[in-house]
Amino acid sequence: MRSSAANLALAYILLGLAALALFATPLWYAWRVTIQDGRVEILQADAQRLSDVFRREGPAGLAAYITRRVEAQIAGERFLLLADEDYQPLAGNLKAWPQNAPPESGVHTFNVNVNGGTSSGVFVRVDLPGGYNLLVGRDLARFAPLEHRFWYALASAVGFLSIVGAFGGFLIRRALLERIHGIRQTVSAIIQGDLSRRLPIQPGGDELNTLSQTINGMLDQIEQLIHGVRNVSNSIAHDLRTPLAELRSRLEELSLTKPAPEQTFAELEVAVADVDRVIRLFNALLRLAEIDSGLRRSGFVPVDLAVVANDAVEFYLPAAEIKGRTLTLVSDGSAPIRGDPVLLAQALGNLIDNALKYTPDGGRIQVEVRGAANQSVRVSVADSGPGIPDLEKPKVIERFYRGDRSRGTPGVGLGLSLVEAVARLHGSSLQFEDNWPGLRASMVLQLDTAAIAPAVLTPSSSAALRPAYPGRLATGSG
Amino acid sequence: MKVLLVEDNERVTQFVVKGLKESGHTVDHADNGRDGMFLAASEPYDVIIMDRMLPGEIDGLAIVEALRKSGKHTPILILSALSDVDERIRGLRSGGDDYLTKPFAFGELLARLDALSRRAQGDGAQTKLEVGDLRVDLLNRKVTRGVRSIVLQPREFKLLEYLMRHANQVVTRTMLLENVWDYHFDPQTNVVDVHISKLRQKIDADFERPLLRTVRNAGYTMTAQD
Repeated sequence: MRSSAANLALAYILLGLAALALFATPLWYAWRVTIQDGRVEILQADAQRLSDVFRREGPAGLAAYITRRVEAQIAGERFLLLADEDYQPLAGNLKAWPQNAPPESGVHTFNVNVNGGTSSGVFVRVDLPGGYNLLVGRDLARFAPLEHRFWYALASAVGFLSIVGAFGGFLIRRALLERIHGIRQTVSAIIQGDLSRRLPIQPGGDELNTLSQTINGMLDQIEQLIHGVRNVSNSIAHDLRTPLAELRSRLEELSLTKPAPEQTFAELEVAVADVDRVIRLFNALLRLAEIDSGLRRSGFVPVDLAVVANDAVEFYLPAAEIKGRTLTLVSDGSAPIRGDPVLLAQALGNLIDNALKYTPDGGRIQVEVRGAANQSVRVSVADSGPGIPDLEKPKVIERFYRGDRSRGTPGVGLGLSLVEAVARLHGSSLQFEDNWPGLRASMVLQLDTAAIAPAVLTPSSSAALRPAYPGRLATGSG
Repeated sequence: MKVLLVEDNERVTQFVVKGLKESGHTVDHADNGRDGMFLAASEPYDVIIMDRMLPGEIDGLAIVEALRKSGKHTPILILSALSDVDERIRGLRSGGDDYLTKPFAFGELLARLDALSRRAQGDGAQTKLEVGDLRVDLLNRKVTRGVRSIVLQPREFKLLEYLMRHANQVVTRTMLLENVWDYHFDPQTNVVDVHISKLRQKIDADFERPLLRTVRNAGYTMTAQD
């Protein structure tokens, strides 16, 4: 199996080679063209000089000059040949006029026979006056060593690149494998059940680290959720055991003592009430699960939070009056948002319900819907009860948590969890503050900007907007 | 009334059939979608109780939709173990008239069936409601008992109107929550009872004969009968 690091190294090597080829090819081409042009220029200059000699001294003079040149020449690098109109050689170092030489004058490349062998050369052919022909050429084989050197250099560059690339790939692969091994070990441990393990993070911020950090964040979330689920299932088991135990003993007692029908029916009614408690608990849990799944977001519609709050206050007002609490609504006016009206009503209801439960006789509960910064609206329920100690604030929204003071108060301890879930569904969160005295529970929701057009809700414009709900805002006092 | 119950669970069937018969109603039962569809289409019923999930190919909602498409307007109460609000909306949208989540109290079921069958008899266009000497004029929103006129707040009026429309029937707390306040959840405190007692203060307190009565373990009823 080839690891991804090996693949990566191979790819880099190939890429390097391709780059090298791309670099060398124009160089090679440029070199060839330059050399060739220079060579031709030299040959043409030489041919010019020989033509001058011919013009000054005639055929015999040029023949003598060429013979002198050939004799003085150390190596056979230069081909020279003067021939008459019948291509019979007069002077030069070629034995005969090359058969494959083109008939017209100019620059040509062709093979000639020199010293029994064939040699490729570049030639300048000049037609001299009087039908004389002149060839000035250069042996191309002379340049072969230079070409070879170029190819050697290129080959060693390729070799070097391959070796360094392979070695680099090996190092990268080793480092990667080491880290992947670390990750694998951690993940194995997590699979085994040790949820506290986290992927190793190395100093520096490469992609693998970023990925590890993201995965660690996910693991944090999962650990928290699993923790929550464990707590919840413990609490559910506990909360269910109580009514079920009562139910069981009630039914068992009935079957053992077989009391008079009237008493039996009375006991059965209480038994049904016990079962109802269990069912209510399940319904609350199902509702929470439903909200948590986020599916409800698809059912968001335009809602006026001020109306929802007004209805909720109106709904709870008689109950508050009977209990001797003051329940009031303070609203800046219309507060259009997008949301789930049923859930928002239930969340607000739960907060008011909670406040009613924990506020002593004569206490005050105030529901507020006020514009907040950044096109948002803050809805809050403030009471004058005992409040929640700072340490317990994060805990109260944990499922089934009930502060000590609430012992003996009916309810399944899911009320605030539901409010928190509803807030989260609407992109907000449930906040607790001190109300000096008491508790202020609030959430900030984004206004539906598309719906605000004429009646923008801002703290300053509150007075002007009040008539938006004539007669509904002054909903009561206890 | 004549009721069709389409339900595959035997315990629930037994519970509902027995209860309805004891309350003096006639019950036909189908335990699958095909038979239910056949009965619902061929027999005249006052109300149909339709389980949402049935064995076989045809499920409850499909039957409801098919019945509505074929022009049957028999009131249908959908029974379901699915409590999601969305499920409820889907049930009502397919043509159901009411939705009740399992498990339920028999009193709740009976009260809703009653409400459904009477609504079908068509008293929706009424402008005046009367129970005993209590009169409600829906047009100018006036309430009088005997010769005395009674002033109600808007929500109290809505509560009274609902109770009067369902006079001589049992109305449960859940029905009131859903229809008067449009709240589809269970408030933890007995808020509905408090609203009822406030209303009672206004319409019954000074009169010899109470009209708004509590039905034990079920809810309330508005009646002038003894």
